[in-house]
Amino acid sequence: MTKTTLTGTRRFLLPRRRLLAGAGALGASATIGGSALLSRLARAQDVEKPEEIIVRAWGGVWVESLDAGVSQPFTAATGIAVRHDLTEDNEIRPRIWSAVDQGRVPPIHVNWDTTTNATKSALRGVTEDLSDLANLEGLLPAAQPAGFDSYPIVNTYSYVYVLAYREEAFPEGPPTSWNVMLEERFKGRVALYDDGIGFHPVAVILGGGTIDDIPDNMEPGWDWLRRLKAQEPLLGEDPDFTTWFQNGEIDVACTIISNAREAKMNGIPVAWTVPQEGAKVDTDGLWIPKGLPENELYWAKEYVNFALSPAAMETWCNGLGLPPTRPGLTPPEDLAGDPAYPTTQEDFARLISVPTPVLVEHEADWFAKFNEIMQG
Amino acid sequence: MTTSARNRSPLLRLLFAAEAVRAAIWPQRMRPATGWAFLLPAVLLVAILVAGMAYMVDASFHELDRSTFRLTEEYSLTNYETVLERPFYSTIIIRTVLAAVIVTAITLVLAFPYAYAMVRTKRAATRKLLLIGLFLPFFIGQVVRAYGWLIVLGQEGLLNSTLTWMGLGTVKLIYTYPGVLIGLVQYMLPFAVLMLAPAVTAVPEEVELASDSLGAGWFATLWHVLLPMTKPGLVAAGVVVFTLTITDYAMPEIMGGGTSDFIASAIYDGYFSTDEQGLSSALAVLLVLGATTVVGVVFALVGVGTLGYSARRLR
Repeated sequence: MTKTTLTGTRRFLLPRRRLLAGAGALGASATIGGSALLSRLARAQDVEKPEEIIVRAWGGVWVESLDAGVSQPFTAATGIAVRHDLTEDNEIRPRIWSAVDQGRVPPIHVNWDTTTNATKSALRGVTEDLSDLANLEGLLPAAQPAGFDSYPIVNTYSYVYVLAYREEAFPEGPPTSWNVMLEERFKGRVALYDDGIGFHPVAVILGGGTIDDIPDNMEPGWDWLRRLKAQEPLLGEDPDFTTWFQNGEIDVACTIISNAREAKMNGIPVAWTVPQEGAKVDTDGLWIPKGLPENELYWAKEYVNFALSPAAMETWCNGLGLPPTRPGLTPPEDLAGDPAYPTTQEDFARLISVPTPVLVEHEADWFAKFNEIMQG
Repeated sequence: MTTSARNRSPLLRLLFAAEAVRAAIWPQRMRPATGWAFLLPAVLLVAILVAGMAYMVDASFHELDRSTFRLTEEYSLTNYETVLERPFYSTIIIRTVLAAVIVTAITLVLAFPYAYAMVRTKRAATRKLLLIGLFLPFFIGQVVRAYGWLIVLGQEGLLNSTLTWMGLGTVKLIYTYPGVLIGLVQYMLPFAVLMLAPAVTAVPEEVELASDSLGAGWFATLWHVLLPMTKPGLVAAGVVVFTLTITDYAMPEIMGGGTSDFIASAIYDGYFSTDEQGLSSALAVLLVLGATTVVGVVFALVGVGTLGYSARRLR
């Protein structure tokens, strides 16, 4: 049984030696990944193929990128169709949990999930161990979930909650501080996630605290959010930000870079920045629920293994505009050098990472406190 | 089968066959239980709901263990204490109950004249128009209607564009509590009209004419004749609107923009976002108890007879 331990809050550190080694070994790993994959697929001829693999995914650019980078090539290589289930990650989780508890076959084969939520499932004991996947070789240490000796989840990329802004509202140039949200001119034109996800640690720093205050002293953050409440911020989910920017209803928002980038690619005049206080960086991953028939488990693992191969990862993550946990892949042209697309130790040093065990333990309380402030 | 039966029409033979099957499944000696048999589906449905509630009540007494993300074995009142202690929960409980009261009151005020006009109008075209207005919203789900309101009430929406064009500035209704109430009233109105229409129909038009001929004005007739006589419909509509509003999820979520959560939003978040099944169960139990108490008090005050069941008939 795996066990998680709490560690202190830290900046996201990318071991330089590992990074250089990884970059240098990319060609080799690509070859190894490719040949190993072919070898595994050859062995796989003995295992009965299911008609389809069901992969839970987020909609929009998220599922499109996964489809282009992983699902379609996987189908081409194996002949197994991939169906994407766009059920919300929060809604599929209880279904998987109850299916596993009741000894039923879970509703999906692979869950694409946030690392925090995936860790909850791992702690509950409903995830398969992925430690035997060949393409784990060459991944960054960040690919392994914190607090586990094994791989109940594989973290596949990191993402940053950027300060997205409407370019017309900032003719003088990008904002340099999150404090811009408190300016009178942006009253009613600021947006956050409706549970404050991605912003709690930033608020602590904005309120005069430090990252060492997290999680024991969040009060500076709550004080800052009380000031922000006077600005009457809009609170929503990923699609809301795009709609609000499109309708000209907001000027600044804290959102995942992929959403801002998708909006920009759709012609909405949105840009983003990492302010001087930093921005929260987090990871997503893939995991497989327990309770699958043996052959389906085998092919679900093959799917995850395929997703970790250099070519699949590069296409998938470039579509999302997110840096993969495999070093040395070519970043998308529009994001090269962007601090919101961290690839170097210096990039990560500007960002704020709260260890997953801390998030698992405290995030629900932070959501409750955020709601208490914003809806009080 | 007798020779005469074989000579009958196919339909009759089918009916005889059906009767034979019925007699085999449900023999004559079980006839006294026929009424109960008809009740069985409803009893099963209620039993499933009760079983679900029992599970929820049990879960509400178990705290979440965040090291395993399972409910602890021990029974405790922690979840109920959390609901009482966290200001957020008292805020949303007050907000939800207040909304239910306001929406019920406004909806009944708006629904009554609509139902009255629909029943009493002499013009078939007007009645058809009102009926279409009544039933059309049922074909459009609550979520779609809520998004329709976003288009109408948004900062760049129809209302504000019109106000700006008239030089009156803009108003902010979207993502506000009043915005949620507007959406809810619009959603509840057809339900209320549908329940009030039979009550108005049950009032003979001659009674109104008699009141008029005795010198009562329209308000006196409304106050002393129509409202008392339509009380069963008003109470039934009020109970339905109140309970639907107090348990509503979609409208506060969409129209509130994350600023006006109702109890159902907190329950959803607990079950699906933060995995606090015990805490959400406690909230759900309190919601059911609260709503049931209110409905019980209403029936105690105005009597179950308002639903068309007299005490004598119930006995």
